[in-house]
Amino acid sequence: MADPQPVPINAKFGNDFVTQLIVVLDIDTMNEVAAKVAHHVVGKRVPTREAGMVVSYRGRKLAAGITVAEAGIGPFQNVFVDWEEAEVTA
Amino acid sequence: MARLKREDWYDIARDLDWTLKYVDDEAVFPEWMSGSGKVPREAWKKWDEPYKCSYPDYVATQREKETSVYSVKAALQRSAIFDTLDEGWKSTAKVHFGGTALIEYEAVLAEARMSRFGLSPAWRNMAVFGMLDEIRHTQIDLFFAHEFISKDPQYDWAQKAYHTNEWGVIAARGLFDGMMMNPNVVDVAIQLPFTFETGFTNLQFVALAADALGSGDINFANMISSIQTDEARHAQQGGPTLEILMQHDPKRAQWIIDKTFWLSARLFAILTGPSMDYYTPLEHRKQSYKEFMQEWIVAEYLRLIQDYGLKKPWYWDEFLAGLDTWHHSLHLGVWFWRPTVWWKPQAGVSKAEREWLQSKYPEWEKQWGPIWDTLIKNVNDGNMGGTLPETLPWLCNMCHLPIGTAASPNNLKFPVQSYPLTHNGYTYHFCSKPCRQIWWEDKDTMHQKTVIERLLTGEIQPPDVGGILAWMGLTPDVMGDDAYQYRWAAEYREPAVAVH
Repeated sequence: MADPQPVPINAKFGNDFVTQLIVVLDIDTMNEVAAKVAHHVVGKRVPTREAGMVVSYRGRKLAAGITVAEAGIGPFQNVFVDWEEAEVTA
Repeated sequence: MARLKREDWYDIARDLDWTLKYVDDEAVFPEWMSGSGKVPREAWKKWDEPYKCSYPDYVATQREKETSVYSVKAALQRSAIFDTLDEGWKSTAKVHFGGTALIEYEAVLAEARMSRFGLSPAWRNMAVFGMLDEIRHTQIDLFFAHEFISKDPQYDWAQKAYHTNEWGVIAARGLFDGMMMNPNVVDVAIQLPFTFETGFTNLQFVALAADALGSGDINFANMISSIQTDEARHAQQGGPTLEILMQHDPKRAQWIIDKTFWLSARLFAILTGPSMDYYTPLEHRKQSYKEFMQEWIVAEYLRLIQDYGLKKPWYWDEFLAGLDTWHHSLHLGVWFWRPTVWWKPQAGVSKAEREWLQSKYPEWEKQWGPIWDTLIKNVNDGNMGGTLPETLPWLCNMCHLPIGTAASPNNLKFPVQSYPLTHNGYTYHFCSKPCRQIWWEDKDTMHQKTVIERLLTGEIQPPDVGGILAWMGLTPDVMGDDAYQYRWAAEYREPAVAVH
């Protein structure tokens, strides 16, 4: 089996103010992609929440278990990560 | 022997040209340098500078200016003013010195190119004065900054910045190489004297001079005011060039102005915006960045280009909307990625400062408040790792500024997103549609690799934050940190609850 390949993506998390370089692996699941993107934003510029996250690519939300390769995400592509449910504000 | 009055000889001297016998005109003024394009060769004979100046006049005036500036400097050198200046304000001066000193030198080369390849002798004559001006500006910036190196090594970046690959320097180099070095001299005249010097140097030199005086930095105010008097003169090379270009190729004139204005506005949002709205102490701020832009750039520049028969740039509404957001976003980015800059960014978000920001920018709290609140909590919790980067923002392939900084959070019209373009199988990213369009049209003269691209192609080793900082030339003694050592965050601490 081939070694996992790094895939540099241009990722944005939720309501952050920039997109960032995040290097994921082609075997990473969307859960792992979300965690890698969130690591650079959540608790730093976006408050921590007890909530699930979801990855979107080319306008559609991806299932948590599929991998970067299966989703067809290539190097330099835009990927969006957000909370599964919008925050409820009073 | 009686000397002729200036008006009796000036018109002959300023417009004296060679009659070429042994070489073709094209050999002396090659199109790729002179850039006449659709303008007939004869049309350049009408080039007429609005500001008349002979060489003796020039030397006499410049001598007076130099005497005045250096006298003030010599007097202040014996005072303790520097030690009393606010640390945030000092950052404004450091940004200026590092960001502009060697750009003034690049402008020497741009003026030299116009003085050699301009198609009118009168234009070439004026460009010689412009070249001498820019030599003076380079020297004055380097000399004034040098005085402070023994007190603070960040001032050494006046000399060093453009010899590094620091990300802001790459952004500035991208703009100025595209404006001064890569194009032909007609394009240079429309970009540099007309768009940049007429439009934008006012921002750096007039607005900052007022804030410098308010902040007690008389030396800096004196220096940049003196520079601006030269800019105001040699900027006038742009008008006559534009007038001729408008008669023969208005479409080209409009494009050059539109692209230069956009890219200059993007760069000044980081060069001047944070200085005016965050680094200058609150009590010394004269106008907000937006107010200054509206008065000096929006109203003045628009009137100017319309006088020449030009239209408003196609992105005008987006530019105006950006006055509310771009520099706030860039300031936040500079503060968060502060080890990557050669100055100490003043966060500028104490409660009183946030009230001021909200009063000047009614959407400020909605757009930036939640992010700053999260950072402030980290500071107060002692979680400094939560206020520092472990990766880079993705950078725009045109302006080299982070993707998202031509937008803001909670902004439906201009949301934080990339505007990609796939060309020859490679995906480029842009902060905005105008940056994408400018790159597409003029990539031959404007393209430079971004830091992200250099990182991903292995140019930066090791490919981590430490490797990136070393590659940018940032040593621990100069890399940026909070100007006030985070003291401003203390007022946000929740009061301790008394235990009975």
